[in-house]
Amino acid sequence: MPITTTRRRLLAGSAAALALPAFARAQGAAKPRLTAISQWSAGSDGAAITALGRKFEEKGGVWQHSPVPGFTTEMMNKLRAQIIAGDPPACSQLKGPEIAAWSKIAPTVDLDAVVAAAGYEKVVAPDLAKLHKPGGKWIALPLQIYSTNMLFLSKRALDKAKADKPPVTWADFNALAEKMKAAGVTYPFANGGTRADDGQKFEASLAGISPTAYRAACMNLDKKALEGPEMKAAFAQMRKLTEWMDPNVGAQPYAVNLKRFIDGDMGMLIMGGWAQGVLKNAGFKLDDFIIAPGPSDNGKPVFLLNADAFIFWQRKEADLQAGQMLMAQLVMDPAIQTMYSQITGSIPVRTDVDLTGEGWSDGQRTTAAALKNAVANNQAVLSLAHNMAQENGLTAAMIDVFTEYAKNKTIKPEEAVTRLAEAVEGAR
Amino acid sequence: MTDAVSTATRPGRSATAETVRRLPEYLMIWVPLLLSAAHLITFSIWTIWISFTPSTLIPVSGWVGLRNYNSVLASRNWQIAFDNLLLFGSAFVLLSLITGLMLAILLDQRIRGENVLRSIFLYPLAVSFVVTGTVWSWLLNPGIGIQKLVHDLGWTSFRFDWLIDRDMAIWTIVIAAIWQSSGFAMALFLAGLRSVDSDIIKAAQIDGAGPVRTYWRVILPTLWPITITVVVVQLQFAISAFDLVRALTNGGPGIATQLPALVVYDLMFQRSQLGRGAAAAVLMLLILLAVLLPYAAWRYVQRRQATHA
Repeated sequence: MPITTTRRRLLAGSAAALALPAFARAQGAAKPRLTAISQWSAGSDGAAITALGRKFEEKGGVWQHSPVPGFTTEMMNKLRAQIIAGDPPACSQLKGPEIAAWSKIAPTVDLDAVVAAAGYEKVVAPDLAKLHKPGGKWIALPLQIYSTNMLFLSKRALDKAKADKPPVTWADFNALAEKMKAAGVTYPFANGGTRADDGQKFEASLAGISPTAYRAACMNLDKKALEGPEMKAAFAQMRKLTEWMDPNVGAQPYAVNLKRFIDGDMGMLIMGGWAQGVLKNAGFKLDDFIIAPGPSDNGKPVFLLNADAFIFWQRKEADLQAGQMLMAQLVMDPAIQTMYSQITGSIPVRTDVDLTGEGWSDGQRTTAAALKNAVANNQAVLSLAHNMAQENGLTAAMIDVFTEYAKNKTIKPEEAVTRLAEAVEGAR
Repeated sequence: MTDAVSTATRPGRSATAETVRRLPEYLMIWVPLLLSAAHLITFSIWTIWISFTPSTLIPVSGWVGLRNYNSVLASRNWQIAFDNLLLFGSAFVLLSLITGLMLAILLDQRIRGENVLRSIFLYPLAVSFVVTGTVWSWLLNPGIGIQKLVHDLGWTSFRFDWLIDRDMAIWTIVIAAIWQSSGFAMALFLAGLRSVDSDIIKAAQIDGAGPVRTYWRVILPTLWPITITVVVVQLQFAISAFDLVRALTNGGPGIATQLPALVVYDLMFQRSQLGRGAAAAVLMLLILLAVLLPYAAWRYVQRRQATHA
């Protein structure tokens, strides 16, 4: 896998290589050991973290990973129990503002030196970097990125509508959806009915209309922005989406409709990049569909960031401390990020990894290009529906409003705006 | 067997020896009873305490008064959950009672293949609620389930889309819950029917009562205690219903089928608001008490009347 080598990276790499033995000496040359918990046990997630563990062992470490399968909540319960017992893992999966919240209940490791040595900060999207250094110091490291507003287009539905280009703005999108509808595509917009799915429909709508309004309203909870005209427009756009959706999905996940999407019975899907992995696993071919950045009214890609990360908890044992440093270096390593993303279908956190080579899909290349472009235009924002923008309590309160709105067509956009502002106030 | 009697029947033993002999019996009853009581009380008090603290990610000490309760009671989720509980609780208990009773009466007609039928009706009880919920969520889904089947048979105007209808979705949970547990009511009622003294039934028949009248005036009144048992067991299930809803609708469409247990889980584990979750749990306990205390009072009055009579 070709990775462009820059002089800066060479410097950073050698600095890190020099730092590691020095660190190991300081720790009394203990053999690095890492206790880690995550929810990744099976599928591509499990395969990716197993591969990461193997790399850790190749570097002479002892890898002790305890996956907690199931929902994130189960993993959090284990983390909670271990922290209360005074025995936190050396590192655990954690993402978004939860990093800041959890870092207040147990001491974390200061990763500033090792991050600086790797020159990592320059290659991470700024909003993303901020999440991992809540008190001004790096305490967690992002591992891989998904965009939650990638637009998937069914080739067959496009053929039916005699269209070949992905829409760029919401107006294009709406026109294409109408065209598909007229051409006999039963549901121009493919969807699931879960809470996160409903949240995603709103965040994609708002971010596509105005990333600035999105940042102010969803990330900063600015009261004026929450009641602003963009919010009403976003709810109105979301209502349009619901008109093109299959109402029969109930509370089922989006994945149950993928066959109908590929068959051209459904036209477009707005979903995280993980959907390409799901499609691939379900046996569909990559050329059955096209991936493009989600609709953006100013024509430049908007990237709704969702990143998995590791947080590092303070431990006194020398071998665990050495293990944490080794793990930190691995996570930031472009080769490791390449390996990891190629297994899971995500894109690397580093914006400087070259995705032209083998092992990458067109979808991943499109996603990475969108991220680069969005970062350059300050249009990379944090996903609300996937717990990147707010803590769980606030996110859930806001998603209550979105999910009710998605399912109840009698709620007017202006009513929804008021309800959202109230929900935010109530959950603060 | 009272002490007096046992001492009398074994005149050679002293009172101490008798106590020692009966020690295993005491241990057998009291140790588990005390242990479970201690658990129940400790955890209840713990939860009540948490509900008054500002706990979020982990339990912390502090005092916020009724803030958590006010916040839960004011939330739309809880209001919907509470309304749903009233509807679901009463509909489920009443309908499963009626279905169970009807099944029991039909099975009581000494029909052939009774054992097979009884197993079939009881079988859903052996299936976990998660499985029930998942299976019914497919059956009730208008796009792939019963509605589609009927459409494919040619009756295209047929509509059965309760699962995705905000106002009717709660009834899909009632349907699945009845399917699951009316077998349980049937089993209890059947046992009750079988234990009715056949002499009474014969007497009624000699008096010229038809089968309907016999059931209505003679047999059913004797089932009263069993009915109460069924109601109490089903009610506590209704109040704590979680897995069925979670698998069937997950509170949807939107938040239309929220139930208190879902709200508690959501607050505690998804929203990391332990204090508010605990407050919601205490509210659930209060709802349960609101049902059980009148029942206990009624039993007490009944017993007193019985002894006085």
